[in-house]
Amino acid sequence: MPPTPRYDAIVIGGGHNGLVHAAYLARAGKRVVVLERRPRVGGAAVTEEIFPGFKFSMFSYVVSLLRPEIIRDLDLPGHGLDILPLESTLTPLPNGDHLAMWSDHDRTRRELCRHSPRDAEAYDEFGRLMHHMAMAVKPILGMVPPDPTSLSPGDLMGLARLGRHFHGLGERNFHALFKLMTMSSADFLDEWFEFDGLKATKAASGIIGTFLGPRSPGTAYVLLHHYMGEIDGAFRAWGFAKGGTGAISESIAAAARTLGAEIRTDAPVAKVLVQGGHATGVALENGDELHAPVVVSGLDPRRTFLQLVEEKELPAEFVADIRRYKFRGSSGKVNLALSELPDFTCLPGVGPHLRGAVSISPTLAYVERAYDDAKYGEFSRHPYMDIVIPSMIDPGMAPPGKHVMSIFVQYAPYHLNGGWDDAKREAFGDAVVDTLAEYAPNIKSAIIGRQVLTPADIERITGLSEGNIFQGELALHQLFFFRPAPAWAKYRSPVRGLYQCGSGTHPGGGIMGASGRLAALQVLKDRR
Amino acid sequence: MPDVIVIGAGLHGLVTAAYLARGGRRVVVLERRELVGGTAVTEEIAPGFRCDTVQHDVGWLPRRIAADLELGGVELIRTDPAVVTPLGHGRALQLSTDPTRSTHAIRALSPADAARWPEFHERMTRLASFLEALYGEPAVQPLRTAPGDLLTLLRHVLRFRRLGRRGMVNLLRILPMSVAELLDDWFQSDALKGTLAAGAVAGNLLGPRSGGTAFGLLHHLVGNGTFRSRTLVRGGVGTLALALAAAARRYGAEIRTGADVTRILVKEGRVTGVVLASGDEVLAATVVSAADPRRTLLGLVEPIHLDPDVVEAVRHIRFRGPVAKVNLALAELPRFAGLSGDAAALRATVSISPSLDYLERAYDDAKHGGWSRQPYCEVRIPTLHDPALAPPGKHVMSVLVQYAPYHLSGGWTTAQRDALGNAVVATLAEHAPNVPGAMLHRQVLTPKDLEETFGLTEGSLYHGELSLDQILFMRPVPGWSRYRTPLDGLYLCGPGTHPGGGIAGLAGYNAARTILQETKGS
Repeated sequence: MPPTPRYDAIVIGGGHNGLVHAAYLARAGKRVVVLERRPRVGGAAVTEEIFPGFKFSMFSYVVSLLRPEIIRDLDLPGHGLDILPLESTLTPLPNGDHLAMWSDHDRTRRELCRHSPRDAEAYDEFGRLMHHMAMAVKPILGMVPPDPTSLSPGDLMGLARLGRHFHGLGERNFHALFKLMTMSSADFLDEWFEFDGLKATKAASGIIGTFLGPRSPGTAYVLLHHYMGEIDGAFRAWGFAKGGTGAISESIAAAARTLGAEIRTDAPVAKVLVQGGHATGVALENGDELHAPVVVSGLDPRRTFLQLVEEKELPAEFVADIRRYKFRGSSGKVNLALSELPDFTCLPGVGPHLRGAVSISPTLAYVERAYDDAKYGEFSRHPYMDIVIPSMIDPGMAPPGKHVMSIFVQYAPYHLNGGWDDAKREAFGDAVVDTLAEYAPNIKSAIIGRQVLTPADIERITGLSEGNIFQGELALHQLFFFRPAPAWAKYRSPVRGLYQCGSGTHPGGGIMGASGRLAALQVLKDRR
Repeated sequence: MPDVIVIGAGLHGLVTAAYLARGGRRVVVLERRELVGGTAVTEEIAPGFRCDTVQHDVGWLPRRIAADLELGGVELIRTDPAVVTPLGHGRALQLSTDPTRSTHAIRALSPADAARWPEFHERMTRLASFLEALYGEPAVQPLRTAPGDLLTLLRHVLRFRRLGRRGMVNLLRILPMSVAELLDDWFQSDALKGTLAAGAVAGNLLGPRSGGTAFGLLHHLVGNGTFRSRTLVRGGVGTLALALAAAARRYGAEIRTGADVTRILVKEGRVTGVVLASGDEVLAATVVSAADPRRTLLGLVEPIHLDPDVVEAVRHIRFRGPVAKVNLALAELPRFAGLSGDAAALRATVSISPSLDYLERAYDDAKHGGWSRQPYCEVRIPTLHDPALAPPGKHVMSVLVQYAPYHLSGGWTTAQRDALGNAVVATLAEHAPNVPGAMLHRQVLTPKDLEETFGLTEGSLYHGELSLDQILFMRPVPGWSRYRTPLDGLYLCGPGTHPGGGIAGLAGYNAARTILQETKGS
């Protein structure tokens, strides 16, 4: 007689999706345990004190995509979640001028007018279109993807629902959506705008987490993906979590615990136990075994299926699909402890612009050239950077008078020529700081501490394969019913009872939580 | 008074005219130049030397068209090998029309690749045959619910299902990929990947690592049976144009050359005819334009007759031709290292595309506004198929060059054209060192020249990029994929419409069938 399992479900990985998943299962009355390898929960959404007194959202750093139904269902504000809006985006321009976009619509319009009255005019209509498109895609993000190749009643019904949805959009919106799904962000933006600085800044959000340049088809969809964020129902708003992105994870963990989930840290899973094609539990690296009829992995598909599960338990075709699933991590992160604020020559002094993002994306060609370097296996000599100074909004992140700066850097290819080593990491950090110093010359003397994270570091610390922050590229052929593998996009896997809930499943990356939630709904439906 | 006016006597215009005439319509074709053929013309480039001026093959000519229009007199050629890629040091990769022979050739480069080749070939061919079925009729608009549309949609769905689960998955998965990703999934050999990818990016200002280019690989496989295989015409592509013109005339069509249409006449939302540069008017209730959609709808129609949304959509069609043409008159046969004495190889397409990176770097130059310093070249030697094209013992060489962007930084000048020509000759000389010395004459046509001489918007040979957002129901503009235009009586029939370029006459054939259904003869 096997021992009676203590748990209904085991969740591998305490990243935000694993935590959301556990919370939803616990909410439905299931006995759940979350097993996290590291000493803290959060995965890539963690806050760590890297230098004494300086706290950083070590990897992911802003939030907008977190699903409002999750915030509501789990009462995250009641568990400490406090999101502070990011008010602006500043783009320094090659001619010494700047482009500043504000959450205040009229102010942005006046600013755009200064650069191009035509674009200022088009900007409103563009915003409306993107709003329509985001609304058109939203229901798709909230659905378990049907399998278009299947004839099962459930899948056919799902396809019919999808068909009705598209039909309801009307031809005009359908065509616009089709274009967004297939075009490059550069071409798409070219249809709307003429001012290069604006196009470059917008296009930059179309490359995040992909190994593509803004002129490559497929990036317009990623642009839309980043348009889908909501904070309190307001589209397109980005924000910080008070206390860093780790505070988001902590609030979800707190909610999960309140609902009855158990969370164990320092509990690395070595293996998923499978018997007769059924998952029966997991073995920890220390040899302990935990049993449950349901095992859910929040890890990326490669880690889950090629490392934790023995190959003989999986169909060869599935293994081939997972091997082919692309990660190609393309971004790095530089975290700086600063003795003083950066002084941007394009907009000198301390001002509200430092409470927002600074985007180093002066021209489309700049971003494209950054990609060119990466294409041939080098990090960008002049990278695209998305910079925020969380201590400006949340002073608790740094000692009084001092600041923390978070720099998201693209491109830093995981597959660097010759591989990553300490010297290359420092050279990459230098390229970032040197580039930034071109726009804010005081930065070099202000640096008290510098942490450089290459994709190899991101992989080593968080376990994300190839350092891909989205658990797999957000490319059209890796989305929806293809994520992570055809016929296995519904959170299930070829091993009965083994599920997936990470952002390597539909709808994908960002601190969104949708994968964790949808996977929980699927598990609950299957186990009814 | 004719029933139908066809603007432009390119292959598509001629096919449309021939079918319409065969269907009993009185047709007049109006061609701006003094000879028919559009970009499929064979002209004298130097005294005694004739060469295919622009296109040097007709891609795929559907058998049905050749049979219907009784083109038996034209000699169509499929070379074997289909393509030869010189690799330096006397080595070359040859892909045959016979997959087994190709497997042998690939084995010399990579046994692993050779082992995967038959399966790859079989899978891609299957997917291409699905596209072939889609291409043979007007593109269905997915959201339309008229009984006819639903029926067509259902037929396509059933055909899709017949691909089998794996086939369906492959098709959906492959279409949005970059051709480099697709090939990296399968193969190791740079030479093989470069050779295949070159065919996928042809005609588009995209590199092999750009998303969506895997579609190009399938598109150019449709009807051709194997990768990089094309239909050549003995005596030059102009021979096919002449045969089509003869067929159209035989069915009763009238073809006027030197007849430059400058305006399409519209009255109350209906076309009534056209005006020529001479000032003459030709009246007809139906006008079919084989000119590209932008030239037709924005150049020949006054904007007042069109809905602003349509005008906007036509403006947004991406053309940006990336192809230049270099034609050489040669005193002797070029000697490609490793191919000397291999007459069959020289009759094939010689492709200068040794690797994915080579193509990608060529694209990088163009992406940033320059022409490729080391371009991808698709080389043919037409005199090996028809010695009469040049004086005895002499040859012509026809080279399609990519990338030469229409929107060159600083614009195209005589100096830039010459510099591009020099770069092409230098690139050829790396593989065939005797070319510069053998050169008697050189003709260089930039995309700007192609626009000016042949009326191609931005020099785009395909009348608009063949990318995912501009195919099927999106071609030429979203919602107007069925050869009709917003103006009653005005139709489009060129490669700017579904199924696009690289396929001789299929758009024209589909258009003619639509027009025959929708209009009445007199």
